[in-house]
Amino acid sequence: MGSVLHDPAGEPTFEPMIQIDMEIKTFVSAWKHCDYVSTYIARMISQNRSDSVRHSNLFSSAFNELLEVAFRTRHADGELACRVSRHGATDRIELTFPCMPEERQFYQEAASQVAGFEARERYLNSVSGDLAPSREVVLLELAVDYDATLRVEEADGDAITLVMDLPLEGLQH
Amino acid sequence: MSPYNLHPRFKTQYDANNQEFSISGVIRPQAIDELGPSLALLRDAIGRVRGVLYVNVRRLAQMNNAAFHAFSRIILDACRARPDLKFVVITSSVVGWTSRKFGRLSGIEPNITVEEYDSEFYPGQGFLEEGGFVPILRTQTKMTWRHERAILPRHGMRPGVVMADICCGIGDFAVLVQKEFQPSRIVALDHSISSLDYARRVMREFDIRGIEYTYGDASEMLLDEAQFDLVTCRHSLQIFNRPELILKELYRICKPGGRVYITNEKNSHCLGEPRAESIRWTYNEVAKLFAHFEMDVELGPKSRRYLIEAGFDDIRVETFTVTNLDGDPQDFADVIVAWADVYAGEMATKRGDGPEFVARFRQGFQDHIFAALHPKGYAGWPIWVASGRRPQ
Repeated sequence: MGSVLHDPAGEPTFEPMIQIDMEIKTFVSAWKHCDYVSTYIARMISQNRSDSVRHSNLFSSAFNELLEVAFRTRHADGELACRVSRHGATDRIELTFPCMPEERQFYQEAASQVAGFEARERYLNSVSGDLAPSREVVLLELAVDYDATLRVEEADGDAITLVMDLPLEGLQH
Repeated sequence: MSPYNLHPRFKTQYDANNQEFSISGVIRPQAIDELGPSLALLRDAIGRVRGVLYVNVRRLAQMNNAAFHAFSRIILDACRARPDLKFVVITSSVVGWTSRKFGRLSGIEPNITVEEYDSEFYPGQGFLEEGGFVPILRTQTKMTWRHERAILPRHGMRPGVVMADICCGIGDFAVLVQKEFQPSRIVALDHSISSLDYARRVMREFDIRGIEYTYGDASEMLLDEAQFDLVTCRHSLQIFNRPELILKELYRICKPGGRVYITNEKNSHCLGEPRAESIRWTYNEVAKLFAHFEMDVELGPKSRRYLIEAGFDDIRVETFTVTNLDGDPQDFADVIVAWADVYAGEMATKRGDGPEFVARFRQGFQDHIFAALHPKGYAGWPIWVASGRRPQ
């Protein structure tokens, strides 16, 4: 707890906790990497939460969805970087991965829809629809069920960074 | 880290008797084809049932959106094709995301309801789980600790162990263990939110580190398997109506070669002098009262059998008796007062006991207190300690 630090832009300072980097080729070589990475990081960062087991389960659940989104990138070269940082009750995931120019635009649009007030309605429509959940629906679900906020940042080269804030400590039982 | 498990990590089952389709484990498929047999089983179950189909996801630790959509799609389609059919999704309050995620379905189809499973699974346990029992629990632990601190090393306790205390209650045992034996890690789990709140407050106030308190259901824990050197579960098997389910979980989370340590009572063996007859009668009735609520406070001497049947080897059993001569006799008396309040109060009332019975029932507790405080008296509360090793 204590005082809240802010960077010059006025945003609270998130303290880095853990980072995992790997070649995107290695990452997309096996689907189980999503599960493996999300479970591992969830356990590592949940130790000092008020309920470590519950927090780890929730964090893994949300983070796995984000990793599955990155898994579907159409760009075959570059690095995947998963960085987790913390400010108080909120954990921040920054997932940097290479993507094609058209995907970049898709993610920017998806992030703006996630922030919209009709996110919940859009999500419910998608659940009752016939199509398998798209990447956009997965991101909507994170906002609706985990109170996540999402934004997209430009990264070096062909990469983008999805920044997701998860206030899991505040989620009720 | 344990090696990644390549075997299927989820299970689906249909129980025709209860019209219940259950999904458990971790389901994170890349493609829906991987779920083919499970989806077929759900479709088949829907085709067979009339009235209500229960969808039990209490033991579902993880499910990605691809799988959620695949199962949901079948349920939503069935709602439209068969308006006569209702679905009840049973989630767990322990797995934080399930109630939210499955709860969305009831907003789409009114024939789907979502129920969060809770402590009703354990009949009668609410008497002891919530409420003003905290001071007495602390006193009880203080009295048993005088014995257990010497006993624990014979059952696998040593500095540096990775330990779980299941059904930790208000966490006072975990704190005492932390101070005395310095395990490298303690995970302490309980199903009572108020007890855990208390435990966390104590931890903060006394700046205690190294204990992770977690909300959970002892019969269906989120904890990974084979991760603890020592698993303790004290005075708890006796208040669950199916102790074998808890033991199965204790076995699962214990490392091969590690030990599970349990303590239980045999209430009818509580004793005192003078007024032994009245005391004996009342504690025999205590055992019957708990049996009425499906709790076996006579479990202590059955510990060996339970441990053997759960698959443990190298089983060690011993007993100790907490008496009025351990420390302050008033502590002993205070514990009996609290027992009398709950047993001859709320529990007897709920069973429908008449005033005559309650008066005689209370008298035995009064006599036990009398024995405890009498200058020449003796009062005892026997405890059975048992532990078993998970085979290598």
